[in-house]
Amino acid sequence: MEIGIDIGGTFTDAVLRRSDGALRSLKVPSTPDDPARAVGHALERLLGRDAPPGAVRRFLHGTTVATNAILENTAAPTGLITTRGFADVIELGRMTRASNYDLLFGPQTPVNLIPPERRMEVDERIGADGGVVEPLDEAGVAMAARALEAAGVKAVAICFLFAFLDPRHEQRARAIVQETCPGMAVSLSSEVDPAPREYERTCATAFDAALKPVMSDYLGRIETILRGSGVGAPMQVMHSRGGLLGAGAARGKPIRLTLSGPSAAAIGAAAVLRGAGLPDGVSIDVGGTSADVAVIRDGAPALRMDGMIGTFPVRVPTADVLAVAAGGGSIAWIDEAGGLRVGPRSAGAAPGPACYRRGGTRPTVLDASVVLGLVDPARFATGQLALDAEAAAEAIERDIAGPLGLGLREAAIAIHRVINATMAEAVRSVTVARGTDPRELPLVPAGGGGGLHAYAIAEELGQARIVVPAAPGVLAATGLLDAPLEHDAARGFGRVLDVLPEADLRQAIDALVAEARGAMAAEGVAADAAELLVTASASFVGQGHSLDVPLPADAAEPARAIREGFIAAHKAAYGHARQAPVRLVSLRVVCRLRAPEAAMPVVARSDSPRGSRMAVIGGVAQEVAVVPRANLAPGEVLHGPAILEQDDTTLVVPGDWRVTTHPAHLLMERIA
Amino acid sequence: MSAERLDPATIEIVRRRLEAIAEEMQAVMLRSAVSPIVREANDASASLFLPDGTVMAQSISLPLLLGCLMPAVARMLRDFPVEGMRPGDVYLMNDPYDGGTHIPDVSLMVPVFAEGRVIALAGTILHHQDLGGLTPGSLPTTSTEIFQEGLRLPPLRLAREGVTDQQILRIIALNTRTPDAFAWDLEAQIAACRVAAARMEELAARHGADGLAAMMQELVRRAEAATRAAIRAIPDGSWTYEDALDNDGIELDREVPIRVRVTVEGDGITFDFTGTSPQVRGPVNAAPAGVMAGCFFALRAVTGPDIPNNGGCARPLRVILPEGSLLNPRMPAPLNARTGTVKLLTNAILGALAQALPDRIPAANSGCSTVMALSGRREDGSAWVVTEVLAGGSGGSAMGPGVHGVSTDVGNTMNLPTEAMESDAPVRVHHWRVRRGSGGAGRHPGGCGIDREYEVLHGPLTLTFRGERHFHAARGGAGGGDGRVAEAWVIRADGGREEVRSKLTTILNTGDRLLMGTAGAGGWGPSA
Repeated sequence: MEIGIDIGGTFTDAVLRRSDGALRSLKVPSTPDDPARAVGHALERLLGRDAPPGAVRRFLHGTTVATNAILENTAAPTGLITTRGFADVIELGRMTRASNYDLLFGPQTPVNLIPPERRMEVDERIGADGGVVEPLDEAGVAMAARALEAAGVKAVAICFLFAFLDPRHEQRARAIVQETCPGMAVSLSSEVDPAPREYERTCATAFDAALKPVMSDYLGRIETILRGSGVGAPMQVMHSRGGLLGAGAARGKPIRLTLSGPSAAAIGAAAVLRGAGLPDGVSIDVGGTSADVAVIRDGAPALRMDGMIGTFPVRVPTADVLAVAAGGGSIAWIDEAGGLRVGPRSAGAAPGPACYRRGGTRPTVLDASVVLGLVDPARFATGQLALDAEAAAEAIERDIAGPLGLGLREAAIAIHRVINATMAEAVRSVTVARGTDPRELPLVPAGGGGGLHAYAIAEELGQARIVVPAAPGVLAATGLLDAPLEHDAARGFGRVLDVLPEADLRQAIDALVAEARGAMAAEGVAADAAELLVTASASFVGQGHSLDVPLPADAAEPARAIREGFIAAHKAAYGHARQAPVRLVSLRVVCRLRAPEAAMPVVARSDSPRGSRMAVIGGVAQEVAVVPRANLAPGEVLHGPAILEQDDTTLVVPGDWRVTTHPAHLLMERIA
Repeated sequence: MSAERLDPATIEIVRRRLEAIAEEMQAVMLRSAVSPIVREANDASASLFLPDGTVMAQSISLPLLLGCLMPAVARMLRDFPVEGMRPGDVYLMNDPYDGGTHIPDVSLMVPVFAEGRVIALAGTILHHQDLGGLTPGSLPTTSTEIFQEGLRLPPLRLAREGVTDQQILRIIALNTRTPDAFAWDLEAQIAACRVAAARMEELAARHGADGLAAMMQELVRRAEAATRAAIRAIPDGSWTYEDALDNDGIELDREVPIRVRVTVEGDGITFDFTGTSPQVRGPVNAAPAGVMAGCFFALRAVTGPDIPNNGGCARPLRVILPEGSLLNPRMPAPLNARTGTVKLLTNAILGALAQALPDRIPAANSGCSTVMALSGRREDGSAWVVTEVLAGGSGGSAMGPGVHGVSTDVGNTMNLPTEAMESDAPVRVHHWRVRRGSGGAGRHPGGCGIDREYEVLHGPLTLTFRGERHFHAARGGAGGGDGRVAEAWVIRADGGREEVRSKLTTILNTGDRLLMGTAGAGGWGPSA
């Protein structure tokens, strides 16, 4: 038995998978004041007579706690020790602002995380060639540590220029800080993000340090809850790359727990596609305020290295997910020019859509779904929240239908058409705009709203297949069950390949492999059980952006392999390349153990009754069959128009689509 | 007109599609361009136009390029009316004295056909690496006439029905130091336009050429109406603001005044630059196409970025640029170094409008983007150039204090990390700090500038320094204090100190240092 619990902004999602493949899922409201509490609530409801805690073999957890602590600046009071002359790197950032036309804007960098009085400079210097220019002033480090401690700092980030080329000054400084201030959390830039560009590296290191006390407490609280419930399995936590880490390892690099939410959902989508025998696809996870779009290739989401939290760079590998401001809570409004707009502002969970009756009065996409008869007001979110259809109609009538001179239904249709187009544009921009034809890719709708909008997105893009997960509303939680256990090790170079002897590079790769394997061994994984991936990040000299080049783990001449691989990759990505010096930016080794294959579930068909109601699909009002999803037997084919309802989501099937039932997913295909 | 055409959802969907097409053009161009300035600084922009030259949608790019394509497209249409265009045609130009901005910016245009006629034009502008002239990069700081700045291209038909005129390319290839890069980047511009043409054809197939045209006209009409409504919300009146460039880079002791009178009358607005300096000898003159980018930025920032960004927004605006002035120079005045000029005129417009809208517009931004370029030769004889642009602070405002060291107004370029600079040039950076105390005093102080110090490890190398605000402070707003002016010093290895008077080209030898501090911004409101 395995349990996955994923904390989101509004809901905490939980799934339990038995060894026979049967899946149970539920949602409980998140508890932002103490997020661990919601985990306790979910666990309590999952475990029981038929699910004894002793039978839990794996406990997997995804959390937004780390990301939120950065966004809300609630991490530990943190100090910085850096090279003399560079205290303000963290404040000046890259000099850019996020919004071109905002005349009134505040700081664009994490100034408040480490204010000027907590930035300490010490004498030391490593040069661009990795050589020591000036030795470390050890007494200066001790003085800085004492000053920071006196200022109430609980964590210290140490970031020296070019430390990714020679980490010894940083390592020595850590030893001094820990001697001077026992118990102080310390993070080194050469370990957190060993790559050039001091601002991005400083941010990652500062966040890592600031998160250490917070995440250690938080993970400890969850471990206490697990022990209290009798679950003996060790906890593993989802990291940004979409892999799992043991809780102990996670405490040592909490920055890696940021930006993991979208990765978990994309991993979940990849697993659903795999179950359907499809290696590629595109997923859209529609929540209350945003939709996350990810392309899945060969069973895995693409990765990127330039994550952001708010306006801050967080340089950790993360799933390449495009988030657009389009969700159930997106507000419909009329702009100054009299045009209909939907989003980007959202009513969120509070005050929420008008139909929530929680103080929100502005019309949203969900209100339109209610007016169109697509969502049953009595059965929303497993009936936990009764929706007010009249309030929804009133808001749309007043704010949209009236001003535009439309009928209520026409206004609701218009709202849906606009939001569907926004979502389709998002899918276009991760496919068409990157040279991929979306028509060949199946669409995987997820989140509470994915099933409502999937057909319209697919029709707009000419997609003929939609693969609906068994539990679309908790895809990030099921993604936890399917994610690999994964450790990585990286080293920065920033040197021209020609000056790096093959033997030295080979040695460097071997050292990284040993480090990653060591981390896997600490999680109880045998060295030969895990697969090994070696990636070099390289660029032409003078180029600001690098490309990732995969390498055979045992390459005898790694420099040559990198140069050739880079030139081929450059040609593929940009259409041209030249025979010019290539710079090796960094090397990364990933050690990965795939999740145990789940058994195909034997689905028991429920006999909850089918019904019908009036609904507007594709702009046409019609009497539509309403079918509880659990009512479908494997192999059963259902023709549209129909509405399929399950606990946390609703799937709209238009007249020219049919649905084939599979044990772990539904395949929805366009007939015409 | 059928009901479908005026359906509010369809119009909004088409608007988003047009913007997405412009964004896709931009992405295609950036992905395949080779020039570092395009790839790193985003110095390229894409737009869609109606057949009459009205801009329909623009990609999100450097605001300095906002609307820059409009005069170029209008100019090309004069020589090549749409009636004579055929599918597969490509047109281009760059002449700053006839619709262009400065010589490296080449504008390129491709017609889009549906139902046998031109329904739109796809346009791109891209800063090419080199088009000849005095110095590599075609931005000579010491030019005194445009003939020293590179090759001028009048409106030309580069391709007819898919067949490229090789003669044009051969002339250009002989006049650039980097013919390969030029060819690649031009190809990137054409590729972007071709993508747009394909997407626009799909859109026209769906809505019909007439239906699409009607919706595009409606979007322009709405943008104009919304912009007029926003202008009407500003109280009627007339406000002036005056600022000055430190000098033109040639005559170091003579300041170059920029004056603007902003007049709001009902739903129209006028930016009148009468009283601005006559054109100058150095290259800080600005072609009208570049000036308009600053005007559009200021207008858009005060009328609201929610308004669809098309040619309708420009219709309520009248701009008066006296002939023979800094902002509308007569041939053959040099004009490659316009950025500082456009930044100051943009801030001057905002400074005038701040008198009407004190709560919505901050005190003066530092308004400087100090360009510092180092160049030299490696041991193997190959040449290298490292350029960095340094910002000052942003102005304090009713909302709060200004931000230290941040790109403002028409600029939004990144700094060069110390680790990148030291890897690419034989220098050591000794510090990179907030220039504390340089922001103007006030209830909400202005943002501070940046302090930076470099030491040359292996000379000789050439320093080109183009500063601003060394002699004219960014002014406070609503009773706030002025920001501190910028300063820079060359400290020779033997201890000698030379003040940089805003602009300088000099040789630095091993052990020489450059110390610089960029300007602080104005503070807002009286100090407590």
